[in-house]
Amino acid sequence: MVATVASAGDDPAPRPRVVSPWNAANAVTASRYVTLPFLWWAVDRGYHQYATLFIIVCGVLDKLDGLAARVFDCRSAFGEMFDAITDALCYGFALILVASYGWAPVVPVVCVVTMGAANTAMRVIYARRAGRAVNYKSYAMERLVGLTGFLVGFATGGMEVTFFYWSFVPLMLIIVLHDGKRMLIDPVPVPVPGPMPGAGR
Amino acid sequence: MNLVSDGAFRGVLSALTVGASLWAGYDVILLARLRGRGKGDPLVGDQRFGYAMGIAIGLLGLVGTLRFNGVL
Repeated sequence: MVATVASAGDDPAPRPRVVSPWNAANAVTASRYVTLPFLWWAVDRGYHQYATLFIIVCGVLDKLDGLAARVFDCRSAFGEMFDAITDALCYGFALILVASYGWAPVVPVVCVVTMGAANTAMRVIYARRAGRAVNYKSYAMERLVGLTGFLVGFATGGMEVTFFYWSFVPLMLIIVLHDGKRMLIDPVPVPVPGPMPGAGR
Repeated sequence: MNLVSDGAFRGVLSALTVGASLWAGYDVILLARLRGRGKGDPLVGDQRFGYAMGIAIGLLGLVGTLRFNGVL
């Protein structure tokens, strides 16, 4: 079984603590994938309210996994990466779904998915530059991912779809350019012993 | 097949969006706390940029909700 090393929080001489990837927080994260078939079913049938409900459940689970990580003290670099990948896959799938059914404009969705893929690639390059499994913590991207969940909800709920989708593209472009500079050009911070700063899990 | 009436559904969408937008107002406080701190520190710069983007996203949500309800 693969285990991820996290740092002990309060020890005077911090030593690595092993956190299994089979923990409560990662289970909550994984459960988000269960909402996707239901979302697809609702969109396919044209049930706007049910589709909105399922994307809300997916978004709420995204918040609960961080809470579970704190409550059960199971933060790890793997969990943080798993959360980011799940965000990308769930919201990417949902955006493509609503665009393919004509509930959202295609061009902004293509722009968002392309920039999301570019951002993922830059994170991989950043981890290689760092020489360890590390996820660049972007405060801006965290907020944008939250808006991405809403973006799907705006499409399923028919709420100012054109306005929100076209406004989202320049915002995401600015954030991806900023984070790209930080990940690809700026020096990689040296890891400090102790609790992982700002780790989602 | 609906869960609630169209009016209630619009209300729920508006309330959720405004709620999330107001939560972004917390970023104003976080940004204010960073004033004068970590000039030249890229990690503080990341925080500052993130909170500013959070404020922009919150404003976007508010404007979109006002448009949705015919105010703007």
